[in-house]
Amino acid sequence: MSHATAHAPELEVSGRGRGITSAEIVRGTFWTVVFLVFLFAVGLVYALLVAGLQKLLGHDWGHAIGSILSVVLLFVMVLGALLTMADRKWGSLVQDRLGPNRARLPIPGLKNSSFGGIPHLAADVVKMLTKEETVPAAGARFVFNLAPALAFGPVIVLFGVVPMSPDFPLWGESVRLQVADVDQGLLVVFGAASIAVLGTTLAGWASNSKYALLGGMRASAQMISYEVTLGLTLVGLMIVFGTLKLDEMTAGQATHVWGWLPAWGVFFQPLAIIAYFAAANAELKRAPFDLPEGESEIVGYFIEYSGLKFGLFMISEYVEVVIFAGLFTAMFFGGYHLPWGEASLAQLLGPTAMGLVQLWVFIVKTVFFCWLSLIVRWTFPRFRYDQVMNLGWKMLLPLSLANVLVTGAAMLWGGREAAAAVGLAELALLLAYVIGAPAISRSGEESSLAPPSHEAPAAHAAH
Amino acid sequence: MAIQSLPVIAEPLGARERLYLREVVRGVGITAGHFIHNLFGIRDPNPEVLERRGFNLDAAQQYPEERKQLPPGYRGMHRLVPREDGKPRCVACYMCATVCPAQCIYIEAGEYDAEGIEKYPVRFEIDELRCIVCGFCVEACPKDAIRMDTGRHSPAVLSRGLATFDKEALLEGPAVTHPTDVLTYGKPARGGAAGHRT
Repeated sequence: MSHATAHAPELEVSGRGRGITSAEIVRGTFWTVVFLVFLFAVGLVYALLVAGLQKLLGHDWGHAIGSILSVVLLFVMVLGALLTMADRKWGSLVQDRLGPNRARLPIPGLKNSSFGGIPHLAADVVKMLTKEETVPAAGARFVFNLAPALAFGPVIVLFGVVPMSPDFPLWGESVRLQVADVDQGLLVVFGAASIAVLGTTLAGWASNSKYALLGGMRASAQMISYEVTLGLTLVGLMIVFGTLKLDEMTAGQATHVWGWLPAWGVFFQPLAIIAYFAAANAELKRAPFDLPEGESEIVGYFIEYSGLKFGLFMISEYVEVVIFAGLFTAMFFGGYHLPWGEASLAQLLGPTAMGLVQLWVFIVKTVFFCWLSLIVRWTFPRFRYDQVMNLGWKMLLPLSLANVLVTGAAMLWGGREAAAAVGLAELALLLAYVIGAPAISRSGEESSLAPPSHEAPAAHAAH
Repeated sequence: MAIQSLPVIAEPLGARERLYLREVVRGVGITAGHFIHNLFGIRDPNPEVLERRGFNLDAAQQYPEERKQLPPGYRGMHRLVPREDGKPRCVACYMCATVCPAQCIYIEAGEYDAEGIEKYPVRFEIDELRCIVCGFCVEACPKDAIRMDTGRHSPAVLSRGLATFDKEALLEGPAVTHPTDVLTYGKPARGGAAGHRT
């Protein structure tokens, strides 16, 4: 879009991007349906894996091993790995490019198909596995080797408390896709998330490199700052649902306020969603908050890492995207619940199919929020460091504190209905602000914010 | 010495812009719009990007498969122009090698025994890696013996030596005869031209 002028947007000049044809609509609908069916099949495979292992090993062991396998390894890791490619491919779609498509599989007849860049995944893995391992001679060797594990391990743990589906019967077993149903739910999330700071900070320190140290310092300051906001934004939700357990929170979102409004977190806490999304992106160290990486100037805390150790840092970033999308879904957007008509659908489908549909709903929502997170990354330029700190401490933190106060007051005053009313009012205000009339005329403001006159500055007068 | 700062002339932000959220939503709207266009639109593979039509907004060329039409005056790789009998028109005068600023042309001259012209290149080599594609050799040539109209770029090669093209590799294209060719090949021209022969 660099050639676009202020007067005539590029689209209008070239006449492109107008009028979707019916062939494109048919093709788009077809592939969308294929994608959704694929996601459903994937969910079925996860559930069958858990059920089969429960048959094989008994309920407790089968559930433990099966859910770790299906939820953590097959869902989070595979989606995270696919997102590494999706980030490049979707970025190319946003920027009117084609993206990576040169790695091709030697399949007869299909040799000219790039499969959406999927073979690049294999190429990347092979490349990382075969790279030379380098350790800085003056670095702290043990910590240097420990840091990637510290960055990656806690991230994997995070998803354990997220419920992907309710209890539902499948293959004669009661299946539930959630690794650990712990009472402290959200506190586990915060605890594990704050360990991830250690990994990045230690990586920056142990590398004995100026750039890595800069990145590590930025990472520690930024992540610790935004953890405060991240925690406080969710306090409002804890007040509304009266629980720390994510599955109880999800169950609470199946109900309706006033009989018609789904009791989703989004309707109670619209301000918290904004603060949470910003804080989560800062916590993930992803653009526009990617100062610790700072690709163009300092390369970041992992500058000295090579091969699969660097790969661990990279994949943990994308795994975190999946996890925060999952948490976002479970806390604010109803988890595995549909907004309306669940009771009648359950009667129609029976418990098994309904459980699978709910699992599918969760996967679709999570994939959507992964997409949103990646689109945000391709939309905004990086903040300056002081802007990051200002946003965190001066805007998001007061906002989340005020949110806690307002939510608490509303709950005390009128219970859940009052909280929903306040939330709807906030939502209406936000919508009015976002889609409202164009910005206020600037001419009236120039007197107060006029740039300093550069006719005769004091510095010139002194000379 | 005092550091003088340049005045930054920026339009002051309006109240809505300073709240940032509205602009965030608008920005995501723009990128999501491009995403939808490029995801669902069928790509027009026209190599002329500006003439592409349709819902898709892609502006990239898949280079080896989609090649841009080169403009008429485009200078590509060199070729040696053959004459009617298949030998190069080149008379080994060294003008191109002399004018070449990159010194990428190497010529060894030899003498014809039984022809109307004296010299021919025994070796004529161009190092396409050194060539800066200025076209001076074409301008300097008095016999229209070297041209850069192949329309090809320097090819990708696996070693540097392979980028040096010899006379046989360079000699291609249709034969050219000019009415101003004073000496016809094979037989002496009428008049005093025969005196050039040994």
